[in-house]
Amino acid sequence: MSLLTISNLTKRYRRGGKTIAAVDDVSFHIDPGETLALAGPSGSGKSTIARLVLRLIESDAGRIEFEGNDFLALGGAALRARRARLQMVFQDPLAAFNPRATVARMLDDPLRIHGIASRAERPRRIAALLERVGLTTDLAPRAIHEISGGQRQRVAIARAIATKPSLIVLDEAVSALDVSVRGQILELLLDLQRQEQIAYLFISHDLGVVRAIAHRVVLLEAGQLAESGDAHAVIDAPQSAIGKALVAAAPRLNRTRP
Amino acid sequence: MSPVRRFLSTPEAVAGTILLTALIAMALSASLLFPGDPQAIAGPALLPPFQDWSLPLGTDRLGRDVLAELFHGARTSLAVGLAAAAAALAVGSVVGTLAGFAGGLVDEVLMRITDAFQTVPSFLLALAFVSVVGPSLGIVVIAIALGTWTGPARVARAEVLSIRERDYVASARAIGMHPLAIAFREVLPNALPPVLAMSSVIVAAAILTEAALSFLGLGDPNRVTWGGMIAEGRAVLRTAPFLSIVPGIALVLTVLGVYLAGEGIVETTAVRRGLS
Ligand SMILES: Nc1ncnc2c1ncn2[C@@H]1O[C@H](COP(=O)(O)OP(=O)(O)OP(=O)(O)O)[C@@H](O)[C@H]1O
Ligand SMILES: [Mg+2]
Repeated sequence: MSLLTISNLTKRYRRGGKTIAAVDDVSFHIDPGETLALAGPSGSGKSTIARLVLRLIESDAGRIEFEGNDFLALGGAALRARRARLQMVFQDPLAAFNPRATVARMLDDPLRIHGIASRAERPRRIAALLERVGLTTDLAPRAIHEISGGQRQRVAIARAIATKPSLIVLDEAVSALDVSVRGQILELLLDLQRQEQIAYLFISHDLGVVRAIAHRVVLLEAGQLAESGDAHAVIDAPQSAIGKALVAAAPRLNRTRP
Repeated sequence: MSPVRRFLSTPEAVAGTILLTALIAMALSASLLFPGDPQAIAGPALLPPFQDWSLPLGTDRLGRDVLAELFHGARTSLAVGLAAAAAALAVGSVVGTLAGFAGGLVDEVLMRITDAFQTVPSFLLALAFVSVVGPSLGIVVIAIALGTWTGPARVARAEVLSIRERDYVASARAIGMHPLAIAFREVLPNALPPVLAMSSVIVAAAILTEAALSFLGLGDPNRVTWGGMIAEGRAVLRTAPFLSIVPGIALVLTVLGVYLAGEGIVETTAVRRGLS
């Protein structure tokens, strides 16, 4: 059974009198422990889908089924509790953290909110999380702006895995990082997936990265699903016009893994 | 350069700090230097200043020590000014944060209430409130806060409207944080700087409003206030003008000091934010 099933998802925005569909009748699913990439040109609706899946915005039509339940039927405390299973990592790790927070507080929040560890136990859990994402524990008391971009994205991943989710949505999570750091973060994500069976909804415009990390890919164009299938198959031989255009525009689609 | 040194590098800030320090020293030392009731008779009535060195600023119509009254008045001015401003800032930030963060109906209702308060001149509001409820220190504080919380509320709301779209708010929602915790732990602290930048103007206005209320006889009757002293002196303005002039100067210097120091702080933090 699939972990996340999205059926006929639609989100419209009204802009200057006319309505545009940012996401238009999109359906796909993600299996446990699988990486599904969402690719497409700018404005094709990738981030909107991410926000819909996380219930940060509400859809106009369609269904989202997560871990066998109707995810859109949840509200209030039930929704907040369920959020432990479904996490997100944002593109800009600086914008995604409260500018006043410390590393420790950012990791303390999920542990506290979901009652995962007692107050006394939390510092130890925070240290374990930092180590799990390849950071040293002396980073804990630092302010978020006092660590590097790569370290920050590792903290974001630590925060996302703190509640032991079954799915993490990564919206351009490696796009802001420079190449060497990007490789390390992708390696960390693959390692986490191998060990903890976490599924990823991996949003990226970089088909090279998609080919390296994703099992399957969904290509979007103007809010609609243009093509989907096995990541290597789609990228090596795209069928849709947008798929061909994206592959042609990709700088160097070599077959190296990160 | 450390923030303190940068703060003290502007002449306005230095002047403001000196004035404020003097005011605070006066307020704190009032009961040490002038123990006992400042409203008790201390000597002959209407003694001019600089005649008798045990009563350096002379006495008023009833023979009360003007210097003692001035010191105790500093205490009232400062206490009322700070308390009213703190209340206005606290209420304003909370209302503004709730309105901006909740949006929809909550926003609509809270902003209509804010409008309603803002259309009534704040001094009239304070006047009406004290007349109805009766003068006491706490009531005066509430009366002043009643007319001043709307400014901070609007500024806080505007700031919150931009902050609530930030990724870190989405991130807090995504980890399942309660909306009230998001509003008050994630959003409010980051919306505070522009709100706090208004505090010097609000404190200065509150001190003036308190003086005006006291001048009209609506201050706490059990406390010496500068406004009350000016009103007292008015009856003998021709023969003993110093009775109104002395507390008047104290009032002007205080408001000036608060304002200048506040400007200095705003400037220092603006520079720091600009540099980083
Ligand atoms: N809050 C909003 N109000 C109005 N229109 C919006 C809003 N959010 C997104 N849109 C529109 O919806 C469409 C899809 O936007 P979305 O952010 O999902 O694109 P994207 O695929 O993530 O693009 P990018 O690769 O640039 O991040 C765009 O046309 C965008 O302008
Ligand atoms: Mg996007």
